[in-house]
Amino acid sequence: MHRIYLHPLPVRIWHWINAAGCVLLVLTGLQIRYVGLIDVVPFKTAVTVHNWTGFVVVADFFLWLCFYISSARVRSYHTDLNPVRYFLGSMRQAVYYAIGIIERAPNPFHPSVYRKFNPLQLMTYQMIMIILLPIQCVTGILLWNLTGFAGVVTALGGVRVIDTAHVVIFIIFAFYIPAHVYLAAMGRTPLDHFKAMLTGWEEEPETVKAKPQPKREPAE
Amino acid sequence: MTGSAATGRTTDGRNDRSPVAARARDGREAKADEVTETQVKMPSLMGRTALGAGLTGWIGAAAVAVALTLSGTHASAAPGALSPDEQQCLACHGMPGLEKPLENGKTLSLTIDGQHFADSVHSRIGCTACHVDIDRATHPSAVKSIGSQREFSLEMSETCRNCHSEQYHQWKQSVHAALVGDGSPVAPTCVGCHAPHGVVKGAAATMDTVPCRTCHADIFTAYASSVHGQLRSKGLTAAPLCFGCHGAHEVAVPSAGSGRRDVCLSCHTEAVASHRTWLPNVDLHFSVVSCPVCHAPKAQRMVNLILYNSTTQKETSRPLGIPEFETLDSGHGNGKSGLDPTTLLTLLRASDGPHGKTALRGRLEVRTGVQDHELTLASEAIGTCSTCHKQGSMAFQSVVVSVAGPAGIPIHYDANTEVLRSALTINSVGGFYAIGGTRVTVLDVLLGLALVGGIGGPLTHMAWRWSFRRILDRRSHHHPHGKG
Repeated sequence: MHRIYLHPLPVRIWHWINAAGCVLLVLTGLQIRYVGLIDVVPFKTAVTVHNWTGFVVVADFFLWLCFYISSARVRSYHTDLNPVRYFLGSMRQAVYYAIGIIERAPNPFHPSVYRKFNPLQLMTYQMIMIILLPIQCVTGILLWNLTGFAGVVTALGGVRVIDTAHVVIFIIFAFYIPAHVYLAAMGRTPLDHFKAMLTGWEEEPETVKAKPQPKREPAE
Repeated sequence: MTGSAATGRTTDGRNDRSPVAARARDGREAKADEVTETQVKMPSLMGRTALGAGLTGWIGAAAVAVALTLSGTHASAAPGALSPDEQQCLACHGMPGLEKPLENGKTLSLTIDGQHFADSVHSRIGCTACHVDIDRATHPSAVKSIGSQREFSLEMSETCRNCHSEQYHQWKQSVHAALVGDGSPVAPTCVGCHAPHGVVKGAAATMDTVPCRTCHADIFTAYASSVHGQLRSKGLTAAPLCFGCHGAHEVAVPSAGSGRRDVCLSCHTEAVASHRTWLPNVDLHFSVVSCPVCHAPKAQRMVNLILYNSTTQKETSRPLGIPEFETLDSGHGNGKSGLDPTTLLTLLRASDGPHGKTALRGRLEVRTGVQDHELTLASEAIGTCSTCHKQGSMAFQSVVVSVAGPAGIPIHYDANTEVLRSALTINSVGGFYAIGGTRVTVLDVLLGLALVGGIGGPLTHMAWRWSFRRILDRRSHHHPHGKG
């Protein structure tokens, strides 16, 4: 086994704040949307917690953004410009999750400092961090103060359009969060990836060195 | 014209003015009072005889007034006592049953109650101050032809303007005048509210005599039972009577824009601050929720979707030029009937013109004007968020689409409550959304699928892994060398 310092401290701080924040936002969002069906906390409390948590997540997003635009590790988010390689990598990863993992086959993807996401992760995290989360932050802020942002809200089609966008992304997150936790538990041991996101160090089998992948390691 | 209402309020307000009462009266009203006082007194300094000099209209009244004031030959009569000139008029017009046939076949009563007139503020200016077209030399033989009582009322309103010009112009801007102009046979002119021969100070300022109740009896009954009416009946003049909120002459369409909220806030100046202590998004609530929605807790509520031009931001007026819309029956939102989401969408797109797209702006209101007046103490108002912010809330069981009709009075068309929940209207009804209360149904379905997928997917995969691993392990157990 060898260790890779995959998650620097700012990334770990961002990740856990983001994780806790998003879970809380989904839960309070459910409470707000389904008052009468779900009555764990009063509506007003849910709204207050949702608003404050939202601001924390927005601030946390900027922590993530500032770190990555000032670090070479941003290469992890770069798109693979070779579509064939990207497609084959995605298929290989999908087959691994569907069949390989059952046969205890080795994970076809091996992370490195500048390429820590497998093709499926890369596509997912690009969508979440570059498209969905920013839209969710913006729509959340608009919904927080509709009268203050009345002009923008009207220009974007009205409160119902803004809310629908917010709810659609909320639905995607409601799907993604449990799936993310499950996939995170599919490491060498169920807790490997969780430990790595706490310590920053990911353990990789030594066999990796013996069977290098045809990968697009960036020039360093 | 307005001696009764305006001077009555002045007397009432000045004798009993409290700080709250002072707040309750807006500057507009106070100004109207002052003008009325001045204008009513002015003719009282005049004599009357020369008023019959053949001059007509307001020019005549003004010119003669100046001439008589300068001549100083006539003294004004004090209320309660009539001068010989008026007594001469009343010699005939005091007789019961004196009538004039009208061109429309009806009759106009010419009988004046002498004592009422003597007690009125107009007794000071005398008969011919208003009836300037009467020539003593030829009256009554020079018979004037009158088409109808309505026509005569309108004609005499112009006479009222001679002294009460500001009130007249306020009335001209009002919904009452707009209705008169639109041909309404019942919308009030001056004499509709003010009995011209019996105008007394304070007549419009008491609950028993306020003229609004004549036409708006059902609304007045609701008002009388409300917190405002009850406090007023107990003598608290700070509690508004009709004109305190609606104005005496400049009566506007009550549901237009933010008018109603602004009227409430003109007295309840602390309301915004006090709501901020507990209500999230106060500005938004004040903007889209009419005050009675919470403060008349027993009232039925409705969502009023107001058609407006998204470029000019102005309310769309009827006729829209869309046959399907014009043939719809107006109503008050009965839930399941009326415009469905598809029809509404089609109509909206059909009404888009070269001057911009037609959009809908939503407000939560109570269903009738009567319910608008059923206001209670603040302690009895709705203060629980979930009253509205939940699926199935009564607040969203009634929906109407509104356009500005004649005189600016909104015309309501029933809409199906589905327009608030359909994905088809996400954009077209973009201006109204209540968290929890008007959820888009298809998003609920999507969320259900997402939760099933997000939780069920991993569970299924886990089961898949577990069961196939067992099979594989069993095979390797039975064929330990099988895998080479």
